[in-house]
Amino acid sequence: MAFTLQVIIDALSLGSFYAVAALGIGLLFGVLKLINFAHGDFITIGAYALIVPSAAAQATLYIGDFHPLMLIPSIIGIVVVIALISEFTVFRPLRNASPATLMIGSFALGFILQNLVIMIYGGRPKAVGLWSDLNLGIQLAEGVQVPQLQLIIIGTTLALMLLLVLFLTRTKYGIYMRAAAEDFRMARMLGIKANRVIMLAVAISGMLAAAVSMLFVTQTGILDFRMGIPLMLFAFIATVIGGMGSLVGAVVGGFAVGAVSILLQTFLPSELRVFRDVFVFAIVIVILLARPQGLLVSRAAKERV
Amino acid sequence: MLLNVENLHVHYGRIAALRGISLNVAEGEIVCIVGPNGAGKSTTLLSISSVLSPTEGEISFDGKSIIGTPPEQVATLGISQVPEGRHIFTSLTVDENLQVGAATRNDKDRVRQDYERVLDMFPILAERRRQSAGKLSGGEQQMLAIARSLMTNPRFLTIDEPSLGLAPRIVDQVYEVLVDLRKSRGLTLLLVEQSSERALKAADRLYVLRSGEIQLEGKTADLQDGKAVHEAYFGFTHQHDEDEVEF
Amino acid sequence: MEPKTPLGHLLRDYWPMLSMCAVLLIIVAVIQIPGDRIVNQSLTEALIRMVVVVGLFLFIGNSGIISFGHIGFMMIGAYATAWQTMDPIQKDIFIPGLPEYLLTHSHHWVVATILGGVLAAIVAFISGLALMRLSGIAASIGTFALFMSFYSLYLQWSTWTAGQSSLVGIPVTTTPWVAFCFAIVAIVAAFLYARSRFGLALRSSREDEVAAKAAGVSVTSQRLIAFTISAFIVGMAGGLYGHFLGLLTVDTFYLPMTFITLAMLVVGGMQSLSGAVVGVVVMSFLIEFLRRWEAGFELAGMTWDLPASSAEVGIGIAMLLILIFRPKGLTKNNEIYWPWKPKSAATNITERQS
Repeated sequence: MAFTLQVIIDALSLGSFYAVAALGIGLLFGVLKLINFAHGDFITIGAYALIVPSAAAQATLYIGDFHPLMLIPSIIGIVVVIALISEFTVFRPLRNASPATLMIGSFALGFILQNLVIMIYGGRPKAVGLWSDLNLGIQLAEGVQVPQLQLIIIGTTLALMLLLVLFLTRTKYGIYMRAAAEDFRMARMLGIKANRVIMLAVAISGMLAAAVSMLFVTQTGILDFRMGIPLMLFAFIATVIGGMGSLVGAVVGGFAVGAVSILLQTFLPSELRVFRDVFVFAIVIVILLARPQGLLVSRAAKERV
Repeated sequence: MLLNVENLHVHYGRIAALRGISLNVAEGEIVCIVGPNGAGKSTTLLSISSVLSPTEGEISFDGKSIIGTPPEQVATLGISQVPEGRHIFTSLTVDENLQVGAATRNDKDRVRQDYERVLDMFPILAERRRQSAGKLSGGEQQMLAIARSLMTNPRFLTIDEPSLGLAPRIVDQVYEVLVDLRKSRGLTLLLVEQSSERALKAADRLYVLRSGEIQLEGKTADLQDGKAVHEAYFGFTHQHDEDEVEF
Repeated sequence: MEPKTPLGHLLRDYWPMLSMCAVLLIIVAVIQIPGDRIVNQSLTEALIRMVVVVGLFLFIGNSGIISFGHIGFMMIGAYATAWQTMDPIQKDIFIPGLPEYLLTHSHHWVVATILGGVLAAIVAFISGLALMRLSGIAASIGTFALFMSFYSLYLQWSTWTAGQSSLVGIPVTTTPWVAFCFAIVAIVAAFLYARSRFGLALRSSREDEVAAKAAGVSVTSQRLIAFTISAFIVGMAGGLYGHFLGLLTVDTFYLPMTFITLAMLVVGGMQSLSGAVVGVVVMSFLIEFLRRWEAGFELAGMTWDLPASSAEVGIGIAMLLILIFRPKGLTKNNEIYWPWKPKSAATNITERQS
């Protein structure tokens, strides 16, 4: 029983990262038909923004030393600005290009961002301690000891999802965004300002990336210029599994990928355990073949893809 | 004239969809464009909404050119369109669809009034306000599409095939509403239909479009026997190859 | 001027291929003659990339499907070649998991490279049986997932690949001229494929999949053919690369390599062989230029240098600029055509290809 609970919490907290990252990717796919390979690099930038820009081997916290009430908005602000710059310089000029071109464009953007990080901060991984005492364990039940952080990650994810749902269903711009995601041309014909909706989606996507940055750094304590890539890849897989463009699908896909990873990790025989990722990617191929539109898919998404 | 289209050419790649058409609509008029499949009817409407950019020609609304104006801005000028296939937002509720229609407006009280008016006009929508629009039947979706366009408070409404896929009884209903809209609000209408029958009844004037060119124009009162329209519609010699170009 | 003899016709038909090979020969000869070691290394690397990019073109250009998976085939080819050419003693130490035959036998590097390509082609064929049924973005995602599976597999499969450490002791046999020969082979293969009925059928599916199917083209099998051939070429390039570096790490075959080769293809023009070749040449010069600038040079008594990673940033920016301002690439997806043509015929061809 204790063991089961432990596995469930592990799966949920890992799945949370993927779900939040997948929401960021899914949101842009919905509105822009963009598979944003640079999303992982947004996450990386959010993490590096915590420290003083320098190539020194030792990281010195700068924003990372602020009070959380200052720290969190600062990091979110930085990532949102980077995301908006990307929108103006890359996504907007490519707005009318094919999805494949957009995808390559975001690939190029991600590559540039990654190398800018190396240019500014150097290529070596650095240790940082952000809110490290959150990694202390707490007793959940008899024999179940989990780091507080895992619970915070799960809680934050649920809160973010709730906020996003409220935004999308209860606010004017949320409704416009859903309309634009379903039928961009029609939304424009009704007078919805395309640029505004897209900028808003890009900004929210940046906010979600920043949330992942902070939680992830707290958990791992390491900065690496490639740290965002695996998150982006698994989140991307989550959106594929959930059906591109479906936000509910992105969340479900994120938790599914988290669960599958933890289950494989736990139950595979030890000599096969290292090949966990191979299995995860193989499962993606199988899903793509069986249901190219994803496991969960709305009628609207089917017509578009 | 409220709308003036002058020598409009539109191309898809290298294929010409419109080859220099000119038409106009006066304030308060109901004008109908009829023509076979692939004649360029939808292309004309999409150009008026600035979704397509013409290769040549001029479109002016209320005396001002709208060429190159983004579609969302054209909408704020008071031009609204119910496009082919309706394009309602199926993942939104009926209410939300209507709310998107009012996106450009700041006059909250008037929006409220208009909202109540369209629900009066289409009682079935009032019943299904909170339902997902994707669950509506074809006729209900057509009503929602029209209602949503009306929420933009248009001066000029274009509708692409209001009768497509609807039962005759529903079509009658839709046309009743349209004629009524002109009476009650002074709305100007440009309709597109594949069959001329209904258009001849409802419209003041008629254009026959075939192969991207205007073949005939005139007052419906002068065209009631239908012979001239028929000839313009099909051409004097049957030219199947031209009519088959489908967009 | 229309050619009048059969030889003239032949010359005209094969002109894009012949002129590209000739230009490449001149470039290689001119760069190679001074014999500077570092210059030669850059040249060899560029020529190996040429093989990769031409292989990529063969699939992407003709099918219209962006593949993110080909660097996986390059990796498969690279390791398979190394398994055959390394000193048996080294194999015993680093990769003892190999089957008995490979542990005790060695092949000549040419044979080994070809067999490496064959293994990549077999893997491509088997995975393609499933993946090539997909179209558009789904197909791209599929190739990406395939790439990630093999990358993760090789990273962990240490008894065959030395895993996260380097596999050393691979004989260095890839000289600039060896790489040049393979580049020519790749160009000729891609040109002949594009001219063949297979290439034609696949390109028709690129333009309009439904119409191609209606005309009786089996889109899946045509894609599969191109996927397999291009994996063979890219796999051989992997073999060359291992024998150029003298060592292999799985990490070499990750996203940066995927990105740089794709960028070269995009910059040149994805849908023409000339685009692939031009892209590699132009981007290689750009990379080399930026790399030297990174290292720094003296001018007017001062040292000018760019920060590390400038070359990568430069590649990324070049690719974005091309995507935005010249989406069909430097060549506008045209092939180099017969220069002595009456004007009307020339414009015809441009029109057909645009």
